[in-house]
Amino acid sequence: MLGKGGKRKFDEHEDGLEGKIVSASDGPSKVSYTLQRQTIFNISLMKLYNHRPLTEPSLQKTVLINNMLRRIQEELKQEGSLRPAFTPSSQPTEELSDSYQEAPPAFSHLGSPPAHPCDLGSTTPLEACLTPASLLEDDDDTFCTSQAGQPTAPTKLSPPALPPEKDSFSSALDEIEELCPTSTSTEATAAATDSSKGTSIESSIQKPEGPQENRTDDSKLIDSLPGNFEITTSTGFLTDLTLDDILFADIDTSMYDFDPCTSSSGTASKMAPVSADDLLKTLAPYSSQPVTPSQPFKMDLTELDHIMEVLVGS
Amino acid sequence: HMFRDRTVTSSVSWCCFPLGVLSDIISTVEFNHSGELLATGDKGGRVVIFQQEQENKIQSHSRGEYNVYSTFQSHEPEFDYLKSLEIEEKINKIRWLPQKNAAQFLLSTNDKTIKLWKISERDKRPEGYNLKEEDGRYRDPTTVTTLRVPVFRPMDLMVEASPRRIFANAHTYHINSISINSDYETYLSADDLRINLWHLEITDRSFNIVDIKPANMEELTEVITAAEFHPNSCNTFVYSSSKGTIRLCDMRASALCDRHSKLFEEPEDPSNRSFFSEIISSISDVKFSHSGRYMMTRDYLSVKIWDLNMENRPVETYQVHEYLRSKLCSLYENDCIFDKFECCWNGSDSVVMTGSYNNFFRMFDRNTKRDITLEASRENNKPRTVLKPRKVCASGKRKKDEISVDSLDFNKKILHTAWHPKENIIAVATTNNLYIFQDKVN
Repeated sequence: MLGKGGKRKFDEHEDGLEGKIVSASDGPSKVSYTLQRQTIFNISLMKLYNHRPLTEPSLQKTVLINNMLRRIQEELKQEGSLRPAFTPSSQPTEELSDSYQEAPPAFSHLGSPPAHPCDLGSTTPLEACLTPASLLEDDDDTFCTSQAGQPTAPTKLSPPALPPEKDSFSSALDEIEELCPTSTSTEATAAATDSSKGTSIESSIQKPEGPQENRTDDSKLIDSLPGNFEITTSTGFLTDLTLDDILFADIDTSMYDFDPCTSSSGTASKMAPVSADDLLKTLAPYSSQPVTPSQPFKMDLTELDHIMEVLVGS
Repeated sequence: HMFRDRTVTSSVSWCCFPLGVLSDIISTVEFNHSGELLATGDKGGRVVIFQQEQENKIQSHSRGEYNVYSTFQSHEPEFDYLKSLEIEEKINKIRWLPQKNAAQFLLSTNDKTIKLWKISERDKRPEGYNLKEEDGRYRDPTTVTTLRVPVFRPMDLMVEASPRRIFANAHTYHINSISINSDYETYLSADDLRINLWHLEITDRSFNIVDIKPANMEELTEVITAAEFHPNSCNTFVYSSSKGTIRLCDMRASALCDRHSKLFEEPEDPSNRSFFSEIISSISDVKFSHSGRYMMTRDYLSVKIWDLNMENRPVETYQVHEYLRSKLCSLYENDCIFDKFECCWNGSDSVVMTGSYNNFFRMFDRNTKRDITLEASRENNKPRTVLKPRKVCASGKRKKDEISVDSLDFNKKILHTAWHPKENIIAVATTNNLYIFQDKVN
């Protein structure tokens, strides 16, 4: 007799956040799936960054959380590469299905009619369950439809009304990522791959601060993740260095002094105080519109607050 | 020794031995080979050993009670100066050696160091030395005029524990398992990435037999979670991973057993796929049956029995708390999803037991396919109280005496259980308390 699985008797239409894959036939399934994924992503990052144990953290736990982040990152990457194209049948969904069976039905609008090997048990074709219109609804907040933007070129999209926590969180990720080059320089000797990682971080530092707001939050995550994630794994496994050592060593007030706009030329863990002028100087060349002095400064203060919340773990 | 195999889940009533409260969080529980001794390790590095009273078996309704036999500090906290991190003194595992002489031996380990302890009784002491007074002071030799032969006189029983071997500095990562080989000369210790083979007599050398550390640590996606020697084949051992696989290795094949002889893995059920599939598939414990024919694995939601001859799926699967599947996100958030539950066989391999939340523990009878949920709590702690079966109501209308999933206490977890090798006596550890239940012989 084979495995004796117990029957699950409880209500399976439980919404959203808990582990089971949302059924393909639900209308708002993509939103809740994305929300679910985002939540789990946030939780995972919190676990890695906020943990300050006196003893070594459990390697098993770190590895499992890292795997979770990697999986979500891969999904976002693939989603990110699919969305800007936004043309039907431009991407095969089969390859997604093979590796990520939880690929949401959102891709049905892109892919060919389902011959999903991993069909989630629903007998109706996925295409019929989700119309492009409903998808556009979801994407309203990420794709510009009203402003003077060009939907096909993602880098030129002007900011829509992003959900606030996503915006601040992904910008917080950028802050973390930009802080990381100092750590890569110290870890270069310890980590096996240093040069490639270093350059990837550096190049992402050069990324403009302004248009960063204009990109979709997902692609922001994608860009900020690879470097960030490398650091995550490095600091997870190289127990002689923790992110705290890098961020907060020596200077307690550095919490209030770092600025996302300054370049990464500083030495490890030293953050120079920044004036509003510096902010303006770094911001001005990057923004496509004239920016009033007060705006970017306020924006950065808000971002700093959010960074602090993330890092200090309020 | 005839083992009376009754259907544990229905006709056996479990009742509790009285036992004192242990002060620190219990981290491991293990009976010795005869079942006469029960060792517990705790978070403070202490080992407490209980001994069963030898009652008059003909007359008694129940077997002897367990009383404290010996207490000693096995491990102390240490500081790793290189990493600026503390090394916990928490005892991760205790394993008994089979008894060879009057003394008892056990291995206890924390994250980094394994120690061999000798526990011996002393109930006589020598008296009548020529050169020493009774209190130990030396006599002036010039005052000695006659010689006498010292004799042993009875004294109050004293149980002494002394460390005989210390096996240190062989593990970079945290030790999760130790297992004594059936040759009784060697044992293995496993950490997250490596397994080492030791000889019990030799402390300055160990052989690495499994190494899954990648060249680039950033490529690490899988760790070792448990390892055990086969009970009969001294060349065979298994180790489990965080990805839900078990590898069986034969030490005769090569010195470094990186290539497994068998790989046990169940293909994933696509209808259960979720973000947490990998995490809940991580195996927290692996135990061979006494016969050596089967092995049991515990993952977050289930217990699986594997036939060593069949690698592609388990022969039996028992759901421990399937009602938690819809709560995985919350359990991930509060870290409960990483709890490492252990499991154990009874003496005849007919029943398996494992713990759950809310101080519940579960038994599965492999023959009748019935299962039972019991609770280890203060109310049941009154001696001779028979345990009442418990039931968790997953949803819908809650019947009387059922407990709903939302009112489960996830801080009350039973991670460690042990079953007497010969009798229906079980030891169940809640966070701070140890409970010993035995079946009520009618």
